[in-house]
Amino acid sequence: MSIPNHQPSHTQERMQWDTLPPGFADPVHDSQSVFRILLDALARPARLFRIETALDTGTTATPVAALAALYALCDFATPVWLASPNQALSSALRFHSGAPLAEQPADAAFAWIDDAAAMPALSSFALGDAESPEFSATLLIRVSSLSGGPELQCSGPGIETTQTMAPLGLPSGFWQARAELAGLFPCGVDLYLICDDTLAGVPRTTRVEEA
Amino acid sequence: MPASSSTSPPPVGSPHDESAARRNWLAILARTPRAALEHGLTAALPDGLPQFDWLRPPETGLAMVRGRVGGSGDAFNLGEATVTRATLRLRAAADIPLTIGIACLLGRDKRRTELAALSDALLQVPAYHQTIYTQLIQVQAQQIEKDREAQRRAAAATRVEFFTMVRGD
Repeated sequence: MSIPNHQPSHTQERMQWDTLPPGFADPVHDSQSVFRILLDALARPARLFRIETALDTGTTATPVAALAALYALCDFATPVWLASPNQALSSALRFHSGAPLAEQPADAAFAWIDDAAAMPALSSFALGDAESPEFSATLLIRVSSLSGGPELQCSGPGIETTQTMAPLGLPSGFWQARAELAGLFPCGVDLYLICDDTLAGVPRTTRVEEA
Repeated sequence: MPASSSTSPPPVGSPHDESAARRNWLAILARTPRAALEHGLTAALPDGLPQFDWLRPPETGLAMVRGRVGGSGDAFNLGEATVTRATLRLRAAADIPLTIGIACLLGRDKRRTELAALSDALLQVPAYHQTIYTQLIQVQAQQIEKDREAQRRAAAATRVEFFTMVRGD
Protein backbone atom coordinates (compact mmCIF):
# COMPACT_ATOMS: atom_id res chain seq x y z
CA MET A 1 0.00 0.00 0.00
CA SER A 2 1.57 3.29 -1.04
CA ILE A 3 1.69 6.00 1.58
CA PRO A 4 1.39 9.54 0.25
CA ASN A 5 4.38 11.59 1.29
CA HIS A 6 2.27 14.46 2.56
CA GLN A 7 1.08 12.16 5.34
CA PRO A 8 1.21 14.24 8.53
CA SER A 9 2.31 12.81 11.81
CA HIS A 10 -0.36 14.33 14.00
CA THR A 11 -1.59 11.30 15.84
CA GLN A 12 0.59 11.80 18.90
CA GLU A 13 0.05 15.51 19.35
CA ARG A 14 -0.89 16.98 22.69
CA MET A 15 -4.49 17.95 23.34
CA GLN A 16 -5.34 21.58 22.62
CA TRP A 17 -7.37 22.30 25.71
CA ASP A 18 -7.49 26.07 25.39
CA THR A 19 -9.50 26.12 22.19
CA LEU A 20 -11.34 22.80 22.47
CA PRO A 21 -14.93 23.43 21.29
CA PRO A 22 -17.83 21.90 23.22
CA GLY A 23 -19.46 18.91 21.55
CA PHE A 24 -23.16 18.32 20.86
CA ALA A 25 -25.37 20.22 23.30
CA ASP A 26 -27.50 17.09 23.73
CA PRO A 27 -25.10 14.25 22.86
CA VAL A 28 -27.68 11.45 22.67
CA HIS A 29 -30.41 13.12 20.64
CA ASP A 30 -28.14 15.26 18.49
CA SER A 31 -25.99 12.33 17.42
CA GLN A 32 -29.14 10.30 16.74
CA SER A 33 -30.64 12.97 14.49
CA VAL A 34 -27.33 13.46 12.65
CA PHE A 35 -27.01 9.69 12.24
CA ARG A 36 -30.52 9.58 10.79
CA ILE A 37 -29.60 12.19 8.18
CA LEU A 38 -26.39 10.32 7.32
CA LEU A 39 -28.42 7.13 6.82
CA ASP A 40 -30.96 8.94 4.66
CA ALA A 41 -28.15 10.45 2.59
CA LEU A 42 -26.82 6.98 1.72
CA ALA A 43 -30.34 5.61 1.15
CA ARG A 44 -31.11 8.47 -1.28
CA PRO A 45 -27.78 8.93 -3.05
CA ALA A 46 -26.74 12.22 -4.62
CA ARG A 47 -29.54 14.20 -2.98
CA LEU A 48 -28.64 17.13 -0.77
CA PHE A 49 -29.32 16.92 2.96
CA ARG A 50 -28.85 19.64 5.54
CA ILE A 51 -27.50 19.09 9.04
CA GLU A 52 -29.56 21.43 11.17
CA THR A 53 -28.06 20.52 14.52
CA ALA A 54 -26.35 23.51 16.14
CA LEU A 55 -22.69 22.76 16.76
CA ASP A 56 -19.79 24.99 17.67
CA THR A 57 -16.91 24.18 15.31
CA GLY A 58 -14.56 26.49 17.22
CA THR A 59 -11.10 26.75 15.69
CA THR A 60 -11.31 23.41 13.87
CA ALA A 61 -11.92 25.16 10.50
CA THR A 62 -14.13 22.21 9.61
CA PRO A 63 -17.63 22.43 8.08
CA VAL A 64 -20.38 21.84 10.61
CA ALA A 65 -21.73 18.88 8.62
CA ALA A 66 -18.35 17.14 8.66
CA LEU A 67 -17.76 17.71 12.36
CA ALA A 68 -21.30 16.58 13.25
CA ALA A 69 -20.90 13.47 11.07
CA LEU A 70 -17.56 12.59 12.68
CA TYR A 71 -18.98 13.09 16.19
CA ALA A 72 -22.02 10.96 15.36
CA LEU A 73 -20.19 8.13 13.57
CA CYS A 74 -16.83 7.72 15.29
CA ASP A 75 -15.98 6.00 18.52
CA PHE A 76 -13.04 4.17 20.07
CA ALA A 77 -13.39 1.33 17.53
CA THR A 78 -13.18 3.48 14.38
CA PRO A 79 -9.80 5.02 13.53
CA VAL A 80 -10.09 8.35 11.74
CA TRP A 81 -7.59 9.60 9.19
CA LEU A 82 -7.21 13.32 8.64
CA ALA A 83 -5.83 14.19 5.22
CA SER A 84 -4.30 17.45 6.39
CA PRO A 85 -2.90 18.10 9.87
CA ASN A 86 -5.40 19.93 12.02
CA GLN A 87 -4.52 20.02 15.67
CA ALA A 88 -7.76 21.64 16.78
CA LEU A 89 -9.82 19.01 14.95
CA SER A 90 -7.75 16.07 16.19
CA SER A 91 -8.10 17.30 19.78
CA ALA A 92 -11.85 17.75 19.37
CA LEU A 93 -12.26 14.30 17.83
CA ARG A 94 -10.14 12.56 20.44
CA PHE A 95 -12.00 14.27 23.27
CA HIS A 96 -15.60 14.11 22.05
CA SER A 97 -15.67 10.86 20.08
CA GLY A 98 -12.76 9.00 21.66
CA ALA A 99 -11.73 7.85 18.18
CA PRO A 100 -8.06 7.06 17.63
CA LEU A 101 -6.33 8.85 14.76
CA ALA A 102 -4.98 6.59 12.03
CA GLU A 103 -1.43 7.12 10.76
CA GLN A 104 -2.24 5.81 7.29
CA PRO A 105 -5.36 5.99 5.12
CA ALA A 106 -5.52 2.19 4.89
CA ASP A 107 -6.02 1.90 8.66
CA ALA A 108 -8.95 4.29 8.81
CA ALA A 109 -12.64 3.51 9.12
CA PHE A 110 -13.44 7.15 8.40
CA ALA A 111 -11.38 9.74 6.58
CA TRP A 112 -11.84 13.50 6.55
CA ILE A 113 -10.45 14.96 3.33
CA ASP A 114 -10.19 18.68 3.67
CA ASP A 115 -8.59 19.31 0.28
CA ALA A 116 -9.96 17.05 -2.43
CA ALA A 117 -7.27 18.18 -4.88
CA ALA A 118 -4.52 16.66 -2.70
CA MET A 119 -6.31 13.47 -1.73
CA PRO A 120 -4.56 10.10 -2.14
CA ALA A 121 -5.83 7.49 -4.58
CA LEU A 122 -9.18 5.91 -3.61
CA SER A 123 -7.51 2.50 -3.68
CA SER A 124 -5.20 3.52 -0.81
CA PHE A 125 -8.17 3.41 1.58
CA ALA A 126 -9.55 0.25 3.16
CA LEU A 127 -11.89 -1.39 0.63
CA GLY A 128 -12.94 -4.34 2.79
CA ASP A 129 -12.66 -7.89 1.57
CA ALA A 130 -15.14 -10.26 -0.03
CA GLU A 131 -16.09 -11.89 3.28
CA SER A 132 -16.41 -8.65 5.22
CA PRO A 133 -16.95 -5.69 2.89
CA GLU A 134 -18.14 -3.68 5.86
CA PHE A 135 -14.52 -3.15 6.93
CA SER A 136 -14.14 -0.48 4.28
CA ALA A 137 -13.57 3.21 4.70
CA THR A 138 -16.17 5.95 4.53
CA LEU A 139 -14.68 9.13 3.07
CA LEU A 140 -15.93 12.57 4.00
CA ILE A 141 -14.74 14.91 1.28
CA ARG A 142 -14.99 18.67 1.36
CA VAL A 143 -16.13 20.25 -1.88
CA SER A 144 -16.26 23.97 -2.54
CA SER A 145 -19.92 23.73 -3.52
CA LEU A 146 -22.55 21.05 -4.03
CA SER A 147 -23.98 22.84 -7.03
CA GLY A 148 -22.60 24.66 -10.02
CA GLY A 149 -19.97 22.06 -10.90
CA PRO A 150 -19.93 19.67 -13.85
CA GLU A 151 -23.23 17.83 -14.05
CA LEU A 152 -23.26 14.16 -13.03
CA GLN A 153 -26.00 11.61 -13.75
CA CYS A 154 -26.38 9.17 -10.88
CA SER A 155 -28.37 5.95 -10.90
CA GLY A 156 -28.61 2.78 -8.87
CA PRO A 157 -30.27 1.58 -5.67
CA GLY A 158 -32.20 4.35 -3.93
CA ILE A 159 -32.67 6.35 -7.15
CA GLU A 160 -35.87 5.76 -9.12
CA THR A 161 -34.59 6.86 -12.54
CA THR A 162 -31.66 9.23 -12.38
CA GLN A 163 -30.53 11.89 -9.95
CA THR A 164 -28.44 14.86 -10.99
CA MET A 165 -25.61 16.19 -8.86
CA ALA A 166 -23.11 18.94 -9.66
CA PRO A 167 -20.43 19.15 -6.98
CA LEU A 168 -17.67 21.67 -7.53
CA GLY A 169 -14.08 21.18 -6.47
CA LEU A 170 -13.34 17.50 -7.05
CA PRO A 171 -10.13 16.72 -8.94
CA SER A 172 -10.44 15.68 -12.57
CA GLY A 173 -10.45 11.92 -13.00
CA PHE A 174 -12.06 11.44 -9.57
CA TRP A 175 -15.24 9.79 -10.88
CA GLN A 176 -13.22 7.75 -13.35
CA ALA A 177 -11.08 6.40 -10.48
CA ARG A 178 -14.20 5.68 -8.46
CA ALA A 179 -15.83 3.84 -11.37
CA GLU A 180 -12.78 1.58 -11.57
CA LEU A 181 -13.54 0.33 -8.05
CA ALA A 182 -17.01 -0.83 -9.12
CA GLY A 183 -15.61 -4.15 -10.33
CA LEU A 184 -14.54 -4.95 -6.76
CA PHE A 185 -18.13 -4.91 -5.49
CA PRO A 186 -19.13 -5.70 -2.71
CA CYS A 187 -15.85 -4.08 -1.72
CA GLY A 188 -15.38 -0.35 -2.21
CA VAL A 189 -15.64 2.97 -0.42
CA ASP A 190 -18.67 5.08 0.45
CA LEU A 191 -18.47 8.84 0.04
CA TYR A 192 -20.03 11.87 1.62
CA LEU A 193 -19.50 15.13 -0.23
CA ILE A 194 -19.67 17.98 2.24
CA CYS A 195 -20.00 21.73 1.94
CA ASP A 196 -20.77 23.80 5.05
CA ASP A 197 -23.94 22.30 6.56
CA THR A 198 -24.98 20.34 3.47
CA LEU A 199 -23.96 16.91 2.35
CA ALA A 200 -24.68 14.30 -0.30
CA GLY A 201 -24.03 10.58 0.05
CA VAL A 202 -22.56 8.49 -2.73
CA PRO A 203 -22.52 4.82 -1.66
CA ARG A 204 -20.48 2.24 -3.59
CA THR A 205 -23.64 0.99 -5.37
CA THR A 206 -24.30 4.29 -7.15
CA ARG A 207 -23.27 4.61 -10.81
CA VAL A 208 -22.03 8.10 -11.55
CA GLU A 209 -21.73 9.21 -15.17
CA GLU A 210 -20.15 12.42 -16.28
CA ALA A 211 -22.17 14.26 -18.88
CA MET B 1 -4.40 5.46 48.10
CA PRO B 2 -3.07 6.84 51.36
CA ALA B 3 -5.18 9.82 52.34
CA SER B 4 -2.67 10.66 55.07
CA SER B 5 -0.13 11.74 52.44
CA SER B 6 -2.23 14.85 51.85
CA THR B 7 -1.73 16.51 55.22
CA SER B 8 0.76 19.03 53.78
CA PRO B 9 0.13 20.95 50.57
CA PRO B 10 1.82 19.18 47.69
CA PRO B 11 4.90 20.72 46.14
CA VAL B 12 4.03 22.56 42.98
CA GLY B 13 6.76 22.56 40.38
CA SER B 14 7.62 19.80 37.98
CA PRO B 15 4.79 18.31 35.90
CA HIS B 16 5.36 15.00 37.63
CA ASP B 17 4.71 16.48 41.06
CA GLU B 18 1.68 18.32 39.73
CA SER B 19 0.11 15.24 38.22
CA ALA B 20 0.73 13.20 41.39
CA ALA B 21 -0.78 15.96 43.50
CA ARG B 22 -3.73 16.26 41.15
CA ARG B 23 -4.32 12.51 41.21
CA ASN B 24 -4.31 12.72 44.98
CA TRP B 25 -6.93 15.48 45.22
CA LEU B 26 -9.07 13.92 42.49
CA ALA B 27 -9.16 10.72 44.54
CA ILE B 28 -10.32 12.68 47.57
CA LEU B 29 -12.89 14.69 45.56
CA ALA B 30 -14.29 11.39 44.25
CA ARG B 31 -15.12 10.39 47.82
CA THR B 32 -16.44 13.75 48.97
CA PRO B 33 -20.20 14.04 49.49
CA ARG B 34 -22.13 16.79 47.71
CA ALA B 35 -22.88 18.81 50.85
CA ALA B 36 -19.19 18.96 51.75
CA LEU B 37 -18.29 20.12 48.23
CA GLU B 38 -20.96 22.84 48.29
CA HIS B 39 -19.85 23.96 51.71
CA GLY B 40 -16.12 23.88 50.94
CA LEU B 41 -16.45 25.81 47.68
CA THR B 42 -18.79 28.49 48.99
CA ALA B 43 -16.50 28.98 51.98
CA ALA B 44 -13.45 29.35 49.74
CA LEU B 45 -15.20 31.61 47.21
CA PRO B 46 -17.51 33.93 49.14
CA ASP B 47 -18.05 36.06 45.98
CA GLY B 48 -19.66 33.18 44.13
CA LEU B 49 -18.39 30.44 41.86
CA PRO B 50 -16.34 31.45 38.80
CA GLN B 51 -17.77 31.28 35.30
CA PHE B 52 -16.98 28.26 33.18
CA ASP B 53 -17.91 26.50 29.94
CA TRP B 54 -18.82 22.85 29.69
CA LEU B 55 -16.61 20.81 27.42
CA ARG B 56 -18.55 17.75 28.45
CA PRO B 57 -21.65 18.40 30.55
CA PRO B 58 -22.24 15.86 33.33
CA GLU B 59 -23.28 12.55 31.80
CA THR B 60 -24.12 9.29 33.50
CA GLY B 61 -23.08 5.94 32.15
CA LEU B 62 -21.63 2.60 33.02
CA ALA B 63 -17.97 1.83 33.54
CA MET B 64 -16.64 -1.70 33.64
CA VAL B 65 -14.81 -2.38 36.88
CA ARG B 66 -12.01 -4.85 36.38
CA GLY B 67 -10.39 -6.94 39.04
CA ARG B 68 -7.37 -9.17 39.32
CA VAL B 69 -7.06 -12.23 41.53
CA GLY B 70 -4.04 -11.87 43.75
CA GLY B 71 -1.07 -10.04 42.31
CA SER B 72 -0.52 -12.30 39.33
CA GLY B 73 -3.98 -13.44 38.23
CA ASP B 74 -5.55 -12.44 34.94
CA ALA B 75 -7.78 -9.39 34.87
CA PHE B 76 -11.48 -10.18 34.85
CA ASN B 77 -14.62 -8.06 34.58
CA LEU B 78 -15.97 -7.66 38.07
CA GLY B 79 -19.12 -5.80 37.07
CA GLU B 80 -20.40 -2.48 35.88
CA ALA B 81 -20.59 0.61 38.03
CA THR B 82 -22.69 3.72 37.43
CA VAL B 83 -20.44 6.72 37.02
CA THR B 84 -21.03 10.37 36.19
CA ARG B 85 -18.30 12.33 34.46
CA ALA B 86 -17.85 15.91 33.39
CA THR B 87 -15.20 18.23 31.97
CA LEU B 88 -15.33 21.99 32.22
CA ARG B 89 -13.08 24.92 31.33
CA LEU B 90 -12.86 27.97 33.56
CA ARG B 91 -13.24 31.24 31.69
CA ALA B 92 -10.14 33.40 31.89
CA ALA B 93 -10.61 36.26 34.37
CA ALA B 94 -8.40 38.61 36.36
CA ASP B 95 -6.77 36.01 38.60
CA ILE B 96 -7.95 32.88 36.74
CA PRO B 97 -6.20 31.48 33.66
CA LEU B 98 -8.00 29.09 31.29
CA THR B 99 -8.09 25.88 33.30
CA ILE B 100 -9.57 22.44 32.72
CA GLY B 101 -11.38 20.64 35.51
CA ILE B 102 -12.47 17.03 35.34
CA ALA B 103 -14.49 14.71 37.55
CA CYS B 104 -15.55 11.10 37.31
CA LEU B 105 -17.58 9.97 40.31
CA LEU B 106 -19.54 6.88 41.27
CA GLY B 107 -23.29 7.42 41.22
CA ARG B 108 -25.58 9.70 39.24
CA ASP B 109 -25.33 12.99 41.11
CA LYS B 110 -24.70 15.59 38.39
CA ARG B 111 -24.44 18.57 40.72
CA ARG B 112 -21.83 16.75 42.79
CA THR B 113 -19.85 15.97 39.62
CA GLU B 114 -20.04 19.62 38.59
CA LEU B 115 -18.76 20.78 41.97
CA ALA B 116 -15.95 18.21 41.95
CA ALA B 117 -14.84 19.30 38.45
CA LEU B 118 -14.97 22.93 39.55
CA SER B 119 -12.88 22.12 42.61
CA ASP B 120 -10.34 20.31 40.44
CA ALA B 121 -10.06 23.33 38.14
CA LEU B 122 -9.75 25.83 41.00
CA LEU B 123 -7.12 23.71 42.73
CA GLN B 124 -4.91 24.27 39.68
CA VAL B 125 -5.32 28.05 39.94
CA PRO B 126 -2.55 29.44 42.17
CA ALA B 127 -4.81 32.16 43.61
CA TYR B 128 -7.26 29.59 45.00
CA HIS B 129 -5.12 26.49 45.48
CA GLN B 130 -4.14 27.08 49.11
CA THR B 131 -7.62 28.03 50.35
CA ILE B 132 -9.42 25.12 48.72
CA TYR B 133 -6.67 22.70 49.58
CA THR B 134 -6.81 23.46 53.29
CA GLN B 135 -10.58 24.02 53.55
CA LEU B 136 -11.79 21.16 51.40
CA ILE B 137 -9.18 18.56 50.52
CA GLN B 138 -7.40 18.32 53.86
CA VAL B 139 -10.66 18.31 55.80
CA GLN B 140 -12.05 15.55 53.59
CA ALA B 141 -8.82 13.56 53.69
CA GLN B 142 -9.02 13.55 57.48
CA GLN B 143 -12.69 12.58 57.34
CA ILE B 144 -11.98 9.70 54.95
CA GLU B 145 -9.13 8.50 57.17
CA LYS B 146 -11.41 8.73 60.23
CA ASP B 147 -14.12 6.68 58.53
CA ARG B 148 -11.58 4.09 57.46
CA GLU B 149 -10.19 3.89 60.95
CA ALA B 150 -13.69 3.40 62.38
CA GLN B 151 -14.33 0.66 59.85
CA ARG B 152 -11.02 -1.00 60.69
CA ARG B 153 -11.87 -0.92 64.39
CA ALA B 154 -15.33 -2.37 63.77
CA ALA B 155 -13.79 -5.14 61.71
CA ALA B 156 -11.01 -5.76 64.22
CA ALA B 157 -13.55 -6.17 67.03
CA THR B 158 -15.00 -9.22 65.33
CA ARG B 159 -11.64 -10.83 64.68
CA VAL B 160 -11.35 -14.48 65.63
CA GLU B 161 -7.97 -16.03 66.38
CA PHE B 162 -7.54 -19.64 65.39
CA PHE B 163 -4.96 -21.56 67.36
CA THR B 164 -3.57 -24.86 66.17
CA MET B 165 -0.97 -27.11 67.71
CA VAL B 166 2.26 -27.05 65.79
CA ARG B 167 3.16 -30.60 65.00
CA GLY B 168 6.69 -31.62 64.30
CA ASP B 169 7.11 -34.12 61.49
